[in-house]
Amino acid sequence: MTLKTGFAALAATLALASAAAAQDIKIGLTGPFTGGSSSMGVSMRDGVKLAVEEINAAGGVDVGGKKTKITLIERDDEAKNELGVQIAQELINKEKVTATVGFINTGVSLASQRFYQEAEIPVMNNVATGTLVAKQFPAPNYIFRTSANDAIQSSMIVDEAIVRQGFKKPAIMADSTNYGQLGRTDLEAALAAKGVKAVAVEKFNVKDTDMTAQLLRAKEAGADVLLTYAIGPELAQLANGMAKLGWKVPMIGSWTLSMASFIDTAGANGEGAIMPQTFIQQPTTPKRKAFIEAYQKAYKVDRIASPVSAAQGYDSVYLLAAAIEQAKSTEGPKVREALENLGKKIEGVVTIYDKPFSKDDHEAISGNIPVMGIIKGGKVEPAHPEDIAGDKAVRVKPKA
Amino acid sequence: MFEYLLSQLVSPVFWQLIASGVAVGMIYGVIAFGYQLTFATSKTLNFGQGEALMLGALVGLTVAPYTSYWLMLPVVAAFGLLQGSVVERLGVRQAIKIKSEAGWIMATIALGIIFKNLAENIWGRDDLKFPPPISEKPLSFHGVNVLPMELVIVAGAIIMMLLIELFNRRSIYGKAVVATSNDRDAAGLMGINTGLVITFSYALSSLTAAIAGVLVAPVTLTGATMGSALGLKAFAVAIIGGLSSGFGVVVGGLILGITETLTGYYFSTGYKDVPGLLLLLAVLSIKPSGLFGKSAIKKV
Repeated sequence: MTLKTGFAALAATLALASAAAAQDIKIGLTGPFTGGSSSMGVSMRDGVKLAVEEINAAGGVDVGGKKTKITLIERDDEAKNELGVQIAQELINKEKVTATVGFINTGVSLASQRFYQEAEIPVMNNVATGTLVAKQFPAPNYIFRTSANDAIQSSMIVDEAIVRQGFKKPAIMADSTNYGQLGRTDLEAALAAKGVKAVAVEKFNVKDTDMTAQLLRAKEAGADVLLTYAIGPELAQLANGMAKLGWKVPMIGSWTLSMASFIDTAGANGEGAIMPQTFIQQPTTPKRKAFIEAYQKAYKVDRIASPVSAAQGYDSVYLLAAAIEQAKSTEGPKVREALENLGKKIEGVVTIYDKPFSKDDHEAISGNIPVMGIIKGGKVEPAHPEDIAGDKAVRVKPKA
Repeated sequence: MFEYLLSQLVSPVFWQLIASGVAVGMIYGVIAFGYQLTFATSKTLNFGQGEALMLGALVGLTVAPYTSYWLMLPVVAAFGLLQGSVVERLGVRQAIKIKSEAGWIMATIALGIIFKNLAENIWGRDDLKFPPPISEKPLSFHGVNVLPMELVIVAGAIIMMLLIELFNRRSIYGKAVVATSNDRDAAGLMGINTGLVITFSYALSSLTAAIAGVLVAPVTLTGATMGSALGLKAFAVAIIGGLSSGFGVVVGGLILGITETLTGYYFSTGYKDVPGLLLLLAVLSIKPSGLFGKSAIKKV
């Protein structure tokens, strides 16, 4: 064998090997695995990986009669918009993924999704909550979501505070990021719908350590409840600041009040905070029990750092896999169409998905699905256990 | 209007704001004091001062479980001395030697970034809770609440600065520092090893930052990014107060801390940082050497 034919043979073997790998379904997985929002990112990643392992262990996804395994391509976006954009381009052009799951931060998802939309590659946005995220593009829209958006959350927060608990003078506390300020707008709109106006609307920066001025303004305005839109560390500073001022009103806010960085750093001061949750780490259904046990076994933890992120991440993979099976293809447009007309009922951790998406509605979670959680003993528990008692444990999106 | 102002002066709210402003301002002041230390001897600054604070806090967090909070302080102090010396040797010495105008700026910023990345790799990127050494229950004085730890911050900062001033004025080594600050060339001719004095001033500057780090960590959060915002604020404070005056930077810190909380309350929390920056611009255009700084004539 001459050297030349040797190389040719080698090249052929390599081509075969890569062809074998290319037959796997490549799915991008992106989120902040380090940094301030990493407790959400890591839990989401672990939920996604758990689902993929289960699917692969059962032989993989059936693509037109051929069982195919899923390969995840993980990338850490560090919650940075510019890094998210780079990763999107890498996953699309270099890795040629079939779809991408992930996104924790609304800013990163809005900046990155444009590239998937142009490349006609579906995105399962499983944590970011900005209301715009799932309707950034007109149909055919490639962005799908399995988390409760800010419009849903803010109206739940207002319902809980004003209707259910009867508070009259809410104060809004929001950070100065996109997340906080878009959430503040949603909260103000939801309050207006109930004919209530916030007695104080205060703002702070990420990394601010002293909340005295904000809290005193709310206190002097006679606030009887704080409605919050911020992330863990600053929320903890708010709770600690109230303890310092010797003033205590309930905190009711977006789901970030369930972040480990809030619960752990606020400690006793954070007890009693209430927030919307799509999933609370309790075995209320057999599926949830199995998920919690599998997660605990796989990652050797007792408390899931962010149960909501883990469950939404896990479910997003099953939805995607079902769509690929139904499309009998890994081509973006076909998978999108399948997602929009999903025939199979999927029992997820969060809910039972029965036609979760349509051409114009890319939100799997409707307003009736999340329940309010409360921090008790450093854990998130149902704020109103009667809400999820018995057959109310699984709440399903109403048919359009 | 006048009556409103008067009514505010007797209200506990006003004094609560002042108390919080003093606590925050003292943190700025201590970090700015570190800028002043190195500026006095070498006319250079460590732009990684915020990172020195962060490293101090994280080292303290690691050591504290093995000792106790108070026994950990000398360890952190020693670490600060070492870290400052490293910054001077690697980043500043060469620049001073070749009389580079900007070399030390880039070098100290670069070292700051390296320290931050190092900390991210060792301690992770999440904010951690620093267990407070004393009770977290607030003390109340006539309706004004302060955390015991805030008192420790203020007292600790003052004691540390007094000790350094005492050292500079009374000990023979301190006199070498003062001599170098006054006239480096003359001090060198008198047999003072001014290079060593500059290294020492960097070591001392990082020591103050590191101690400041463990003092503030129980009330803020501890993490690789905790220093960046504080370091920047302290830089503004140093400019306002005057880089050549140790007393000036402390007053500058208090001014900035108090304006922040007062503006936040009486105007809007969204504009909290604006008056401080306006003050900075005003000082730069009217008295560039700072409120308490001695104006120096640059000899060419």
